[in-house]
Amino acid sequence: MDEQTCPRCKTSRYRNPSLKLMVNVCGHTLCENCVELLFIKGSGNCPECGVSLKRNNFRLQLFEDSTVEKDVDIRKKILKDYNKKEEEFFSLKEYNDYLEEIETIIYNLTHNVDYIETMKKIEHYKKENRESIIKNKMKYNKEILELDRLIEEERQHEIDKRESIEKQEIEIKRRKIIEKEALIEELMFSDNDAKEILNYFSENKNKKENILGINKQLKKDNSKKISYFSTGVRIGIGDSNQMYGKVLPKIEEGPLFVYVEPQLIVDGPSFPTWDNLEKMGYLRYTKQESIDENAGGFVSAYACMRALQEAMCGLYNISKKCDI
Amino acid sequence: MENKLNRYEKIAFLGEGQFATVYKARNKDTDEMVAVKKIKIGSIQEARDGINRTALREIKLLQELKHQNIIGLLDVFGYASNISLVFDFMDTDLEVIIKDTRIVFTSGHIKAYTLMTLLGLEYLHDNWILHRDLKPNNLLVNKQGILKIADFGLAKTFGSPNRIYTHQVVTRWYRSPELLFGARKYGTGVDMWAVGCIIAELLLRVPFLPGESDLDQLTRIFQALGSPTEETWPGLTSLQDYIQFKPFPGTPLKMIFTAAPDDLLDLLSVLLCLNPCKRPNCKTTLKMPYFSNRPPPSKGSQLPLPSNLLDPEISQQCVSTRRLFHANFLGNKRGKMIVLNC
Repeated sequence: MDEQTCPRCKTSRYRNPSLKLMVNVCGHTLCENCVELLFIKGSGNCPECGVSLKRNNFRLQLFEDSTVEKDVDIRKKILKDYNKKEEEFFSLKEYNDYLEEIETIIYNLTHNVDYIETMKKIEHYKKENRESIIKNKMKYNKEILELDRLIEEERQHEIDKRESIEKQEIEIKRRKIIEKEALIEELMFSDNDAKEILNYFSENKNKKENILGINKQLKKDNSKKISYFSTGVRIGIGDSNQMYGKVLPKIEEGPLFVYVEPQLIVDGPSFPTWDNLEKMGYLRYTKQESIDENAGGFVSAYACMRALQEAMCGLYNISKKCDI
Repeated sequence: MENKLNRYEKIAFLGEGQFATVYKARNKDTDEMVAVKKIKIGSIQEARDGINRTALREIKLLQELKHQNIIGLLDVFGYASNISLVFDFMDTDLEVIIKDTRIVFTSGHIKAYTLMTLLGLEYLHDNWILHRDLKPNNLLVNKQGILKIADFGLAKTFGSPNRIYTHQVVTRWYRSPELLFGARKYGTGVDMWAVGCIIAELLLRVPFLPGESDLDQLTRIFQALGSPTEETWPGLTSLQDYIQFKPFPGTPLKMIFTAAPDDLLDLLSVLLCLNPCKRPNCKTTLKMPYFSNRPPPSKGSQLPLPSNLLDPEISQQCVSTRRLFHANFLGNKRGKMIVLNC
């Protein structure tokens, strides 16, 4: 089959360069337009072998030989269930026998040899190994996720890199323009010698480029950190904890706070504590606060305490002037 | 007087408020950086009254206060009818830090800021002074990570048995419910409430209760914390400007501050207690487990600074504005040249 043609409408790639051949589980091909036409209801029969097919199962044909296509298709399906790994067998021979069995089943199905019997065999296998199949599927899924994560991480890294490079380029361009303007201005309006100005500017340029070079390195470091962090947070499987450990710098902790009550310099007789004001009867001599004063947060203890403190503070104080 | 005037060398303009302009200056004798607050003269009438009232308050109170977490008044000098106060130079304030989205607060940071505020406030209250204008904007922070309470323009001594106080104090968002209900006698509770609002703002990174009017402020408070009743707040109805509100159930603090640990929520729940008598004072607050629990408060050197103090990019911006200025200057020159040519 040199020229690929649709078996139904006989269109070939020569006549329609955008020809897309589709294939379904039976392995017979149809072009995209015919699929549209025949499976308008969503399901129908294959025009070649009459097997009932679903439209959703059509996919692009990858191989020219339809039997290969069919083989690949069936292999995918079978391997979903026959998913044992080498580690699960006691010897290499057993594993090889297992692989051989899979090959036979696939061959039988693709070439319609003992179709019903093979199907039965598969059913039987599925029933017997149900648990291990599910287990292996889970394992497989996890591996896929891990792979996805790695790919995603790489992609993010790539994006960050590109962005930072773009930014740098824009920055450099901007600087160049500014510099040029400044030089022209200077040349137009300065009274200095033109040569001197030129020299001065070229020197400056070199300096700035050096600084830029340092900045570049810094920026690169930053972008690396960010990509690590964002993917770690976004996907967060398994070793994401480790990543947190890497990103968060260990902060040296200060001491815990211990409350020490400040000491008032009294320089006079000691006065009662807040708790003792009422017990010792001091409050009796202060005007009791009214209801609305109390609602505003005012208590007569304030007035009492303040009066006491003002009376006592500094009583023992002998000023230096008196000494002399 | 002449000496003092020349002692300070103006370096930069820092900001302008209602009553004063602030400059960054250098003490030529000691080479220290200071902030000079030059009080505006204002209207003729005010000028006739003598020294501006807020300035007088600041001078009167700050002269006698000395504490690690209170702004230090270093010097006062007058020139003509102007009066200038010289303060410790501070690099930034808490509002700038809160608003800087590039800064991420750890629980240690929040604990350190809260702790420094309360230690300063304890000292004030011990000395019978109410600040009455606590807000992030008035909590200054320097490069060493030390927070100092500033702006004593509304501060006043408290504890007098018969003096009546005005309730029109404290920036609205940080004003306590008793002040909003028109209480004429109050105590340390007004400052404690403001501290509660500031901690909430540190957690949320936006003002906790940004009321648009005094009435809206009360509505927001009660929506968040539930409306008070005569049982939870005895004497409530006898307050001068009391108005009945429709009962709100309030939201549990855990739902508002989802990231806050339990010991911090305990602290917030007592600081944001509607009844001022149930609000603890600084001493009780500082003894709460939140402060002694882990994590420890961050050391000053670990506290964040706004990006404009760190980033070389910003200084580059400064350079570019200078360049622009240069260009403008050249432009003028060009204009002149044309005139000459004519």
